[in-house]
Amino acid sequence: MRRLRLLVLACLLLLAGTPAIAESALTVGAIYVGSVNDYGYNRAMKDGLNVMRAAIPGITLLEAENVPETAEAERVMEGMIQQGARLIFATSFGHQQFAFNLAKKHPDVVFEHAGGWMQAPNFGNFFAATQVAWYPMGVAAGKMTKTNTLGFVAGVPIGYIIGDVNAFALGARSVNPQAQIRVVVTGSWSDKAKEAAAAGALIDQGADVVTMHVDSPVTVLQTAETRGAYSIGFNSIEARRLAPNGWLTGLGFAWGPFMTATAKSVIAGNFKPAMVREGLGEGMVVVAPFGSAVPADVQTLVSAAADRIAKGYNPFTGPITDSTGTLRIKDGEAWGGDKMGNFDWYVAGVVGKAK
Amino acid sequence: MSTTFVAAVASSSILSGTSLLYATLGELVGERAGIVNLGLEGVMLIGAAVGFAATSIAGNPYFGVAAAALAGSATNLLLGYVVIARQANQLAAGLSLMFFGLGASALIGQPFVGAIVPALPRLGVPGLGAFDVLVWLALPTALFLWFLIFRTRWGLALRAVGEDPAAAFATGRRPGSIQYQALALGGLLAGTGGAHLSVALAMTWDEGMTAGRGFIAIALVIFSKWNPLWAVAGALIFGGAEALQLQLQARGTDLSPFLMTMIPYLLTLLVLGMWGWNRQSAAPAALGRSFFGVE
Repeated sequence: MRRLRLLVLACLLLLAGTPAIAESALTVGAIYVGSVNDYGYNRAMKDGLNVMRAAIPGITLLEAENVPETAEAERVMEGMIQQGARLIFATSFGHQQFAFNLAKKHPDVVFEHAGGWMQAPNFGNFFAATQVAWYPMGVAAGKMTKTNTLGFVAGVPIGYIIGDVNAFALGARSVNPQAQIRVVVTGSWSDKAKEAAAAGALIDQGADVVTMHVDSPVTVLQTAETRGAYSIGFNSIEARRLAPNGWLTGLGFAWGPFMTATAKSVIAGNFKPAMVREGLGEGMVVVAPFGSAVPADVQTLVSAAADRIAKGYNPFTGPITDSTGTLRIKDGEAWGGDKMGNFDWYVAGVVGKAK
Repeated sequence: MSTTFVAAVASSSILSGTSLLYATLGELVGERAGIVNLGLEGVMLIGAAVGFAATSIAGNPYFGVAAAALAGSATNLLLGYVVIARQANQLAAGLSLMFFGLGASALIGQPFVGAIVPALPRLGVPGLGAFDVLVWLALPTALFLWFLIFRTRWGLALRAVGEDPAAAFATGRRPGSIQYQALALGGLLAGTGGAHLSVALAMTWDEGMTAGRGFIAIALVIFSKWNPLWAVAGALIFGGAEALQLQLQARGTDLSPFLMTMIPYLLTLLVLGMWGWNRQSAAPAALGRSFFGVE
């Protein structure tokens, strides 16, 4: 709270001193479900807002960390509106209803929610199309594995996460048909001790490349590093610092350009709500720098695969069979972004049960 | 099942069970003196946060574990003041302590989220595997505690206070003093258990990272019938259930992941149910009661 007050104070001083900027200034509020130092989901959101702040002079940023997905979120955002916020980023899935309630109450405030579906004239939502972006990660893992066993620590097995695993598996098997993908579900977006045990279990069962979809990659990356396994990161590309030896590559969110464009549209008064889902092609998802373990020819292959995805290649193009051999996507059929939540089955090559 | 699979399950059971064992032993000592601490989860969290913070500041995980133990002890003494000196209701005070620990640990840990710290190093013993020092010390600690409780005069006094503080008082012991000592020792152990999660296993701090392990430990005290040696078995069974379900998933199984994540808790219920309740050797008679002195 003290930081908030200091920020507001600093901005008031700034506004008083520079009246020219005051005209274009906008106060933006942002709420995070966790800490912005998690090297993960929240860090990526924070990085995006920093890009926005740097791009638009005179912008004020009000932030609150560890905002639970309860009515508490509504109170925090209401406080930000009282302090002058005219654009609010509610960055966690469970913040949606609370942000939407406020949007109805404050038609003059614009809300952007990450990951949801609700729409109103002053309520838009955005997220990245991560599933197909996992395909080049699979290419990296498939080329680097020596045991032909890849490990994936998954938080909660919802359709989108299963889609991540599936694209990862399709990418891996496109370069290494022997590759097997083993999945361990922890049952929580954040249970660090269990994530450590899950990564350990995957390595015990032969995986030599480990990746994850949980809130913060910190524990899985460090566990893999300690055990001498390769790792692939997710959420924030800065996580590579945690595994200097085993890091191969990773996916990160780059929210900056979208947030900047949204803030500009609010300042200009021409905000249009939309359901934004962008991926590698638009630059909302980026491939992290390669680790020193990755040879040049593999880097070329991974970059080429990422490029194909960016240009519109859809790895979920039939025929695709699931892990039990049943044909799930027919020849000539393709699953687009709208079907990514529908996965309740793993593609061939994944060991494990989806439901 | 291959021998490598069994070995993998065994070694990860020990890893998962270690923090539980320390916490269970910590609770057990206090309950032997008649004080039930429902705030164990909060004490573990404070241990985890302080352990991680101190490791980050000093750059030394052993220092972090020591700081966590002391912090756990201090937290337990806080409970001691409320329930021994002020004779507050133990259940209410314990629950408050849990929430206090949740908040205090979040405050302590917040500046250190994302810090990269040196983990407790793994020390290899030929034929047994490589574990950190807290794992190696877990069984000796349980044995030591058993000896302390059942084979020393201090242990006799401790049990006497837990069974009947008035009688203990009549034989010249000071129940309050012994209860404070028990809580201080229990806090050392619970704080250490928390630190094992953050400094050795996860190598990070996360709000609420104990995820209910403090409550499982309280259940394990009942399972252990207040005997440190049975606590070892309890911690291994629960740690083993978690390890088994994760290793089974990693190996590939036809069971639903939703069912798998329930296994440890189902097993706890099952074991508690089968074990049943035996008045003869069970809870210390004065558990949970305040001692108001004698006329």
